[in-house]
Amino acid sequence: MVFAPIVILLVIAAIIYFVSASENGGVPEIAVLSEDQQVQAILQAEEEQFEVNTEITTVEDAETAMEAEELDGYLVVEEENGVYQGNYVYSPDSQDVDTYYLTGVLSSVQQIQQAESLGLTQEDIASILTPATLEQTRIEFEGGGITTTESAEDALRMGSAYAVGIAVFMFIMTYSSIIGEEIASEKGTRIMEVILSSVSSTIHFFGKLVAIVLICFTQIAIYVVLGAIALQLDFVQDLLQGIDISAIFQGLLGTSLAYFILGIVLYAILAAFLGSLVSKVEDVSKAVTPIVFLSLAGFYAGMFAFYNPTHMIVKIGSYIPLFTSFIMPFRVASDTVTTTGVMISIVGLILFVLLTTWLSLLLYRSSVLIYSDAGMFKTMKTSFKAMRRQQKV
Amino acid sequence: MLEAKHLKKTFGPLTAVDDVSFTINEGEILGMIGQNGAGKTTTFRLILDFLTSDSGEILWNGRPLTKADYNIIGYLPEERGLYPKVTIEDQLIYFGRLRGKSKKEVKPLIDMWMEKFKVKGKKTDKVKSLSKGNQQKVQLIATLLHEPKLVILDEPFSGLDPVNAGILEEGIKELRQQGACVIFSSHNMNNVEEICDHLLMLRDGAVVLKGPVKEIREQFGRTKLFLETPMSQQELNELPGVENVKKTNEGIYLLDLEDASYGKQIFDIVTKDGFIPTFSQQPPTLEEIFKLKAGEPHE
Repeated sequence: MVFAPIVILLVIAAIIYFVSASENGGVPEIAVLSEDQQVQAILQAEEEQFEVNTEITTVEDAETAMEAEELDGYLVVEEENGVYQGNYVYSPDSQDVDTYYLTGVLSSVQQIQQAESLGLTQEDIASILTPATLEQTRIEFEGGGITTTESAEDALRMGSAYAVGIAVFMFIMTYSSIIGEEIASEKGTRIMEVILSSVSSTIHFFGKLVAIVLICFTQIAIYVVLGAIALQLDFVQDLLQGIDISAIFQGLLGTSLAYFILGIVLYAILAAFLGSLVSKVEDVSKAVTPIVFLSLAGFYAGMFAFYNPTHMIVKIGSYIPLFTSFIMPFRVASDTVTTTGVMISIVGLILFVLLTTWLSLLLYRSSVLIYSDAGMFKTMKTSFKAMRRQQKV
Repeated sequence: MLEAKHLKKTFGPLTAVDDVSFTINEGEILGMIGQNGAGKTTTFRLILDFLTSDSGEILWNGRPLTKADYNIIGYLPEERGLYPKVTIEDQLIYFGRLRGKSKKEVKPLIDMWMEKFKVKGKKTDKVKSLSKGNQQKVQLIATLLHEPKLVILDEPFSGLDPVNAGILEEGIKELRQQGACVIFSSHNMNNVEEICDHLLMLRDGAVVLKGPVKEIREQFGRTKLFLETPMSQQELNELPGVENVKKTNEGIYLLDLEDASYGKQIFDIVTKDGFIPTFSQQPPTLEEIFKLKAGEPHE
């Protein structure tokens, strides 16, 4: 359980590595069939996008080489009245060549040729060919003042929000099934009866919750330690070059952490309650289905918020306690929510957690001793009745 | 001392426990019998406060049982369950700690109890590797380890072979000596007859029999007569007061008498030629009473 996410990460990394390795199996090799020396010279100078095979000069040779998969394609360039026309020929087996780049090269050659034919000087040509520049500056209005942020930091914050979203989802899925199973198996084996003749159901309920949350923290602590160890390794440091680790941690700590913990606690309570409704461990997966759907919905709402942090659905969803943990981190990261909004959502979440705890506890004591194969709603109804009766006495 | 006074519990239209009262003094064993669904487990659950009674009360030494008393209770549920993946030792320590004992107190007791109940297996074995009977013994140990003062055993004998049932009987008698109040349910009348001081029979939630085992049996009169004699079944049938004659497998006749008072008359007749090996006039067995009571039409 602890290492599964790491294994998954490693597998994904390996897949990405192999895919990119197979794509970068050398740069594509093309032939340039043109009588224009300038075109030849410019294209031959290129090394990153492709390599030019200078030995092939005819279409026949090029096609033979392509059939033997020694060549990825060939470019035929013809010039007529100062207009360049290129035709890039490739086969399905070829590695992709950036044709925009080819177009760009041909365009600039054409422009230079035409400029020269118009009798412009080198300086004139240079100034004509210099592209206009566009810079982006983002400003934010906070506390009456205007602040500028760099977009790199922004991306990093969105990245850590993304990580929180995935982590919340993964932890909820793992721990809700664990806690549901724990309780259903204690109920199913009647150990619950022995336990409840020793301690109150409230203590048992909270004991289970605390235990699960502590396991969860242990798991996180293991990741932190592993991460700290990994940071000491040279190749990891190479990978992370240019990334500000402390910025990531700033994104992860603070409000995101609060959403993370509250989210897990909320779903753990729900799972404990749902687990108490079934009599057999086999039925647990059925019982925790609502949690699976809710957290899936939350997860996708979070993904949606990643792209549209200002959408109305996102705004509303972020204040629904069941989804807050998934959506709010993205809104915080994209700075589309005010501090007041954050506080409201956290307070709302805490209140909802307390309310859920209270309701679950009320029903828990009765539901945990009802053994019926009737559906969960029937059990809930029965335990509700039992609770009412108990309160009357 | 445990007192139950006029307990009543209904589930919708069904009355599970109807006006049940009993008292168990320290050092006494109460056996509860009754058919399936007679209300035995419900009564136990009422005692344990798992269920709230509609009316009536349960008193422990004159006051209601509270959470403070949890540590003196030993409860064996009807359906057995332990943590299958946990070792015997850890399991017993856990249950001991649930009842307020420290790990240090429990640890030395484990070997003693495992020896006493002759549990096959090491204490480092996981419970799922044990046979069903041995698992049950481990659970019994978990129930008794903390020397409870109020012991509630729901069908403790089910699933045990006669040897192990004997070990359990000894265990329960020991609890009595230690001054515990013991209440248990059973379908096996021999166990009940053997160990309990008082008997309570429930039928459809109501008490139909109550009192010391011997008294209950005597109450029905000594109408069973075991006889070993050379006389024929036909001749025996014609004896005064005889309702029915059966021949058992061992060649002993079992006579049902109309009334216990015919005993002396029959004794004189069957011994007129001198010695006979068996003449035993007895009250009906608990099992016969049980069947009789369970089958009786409702009043």
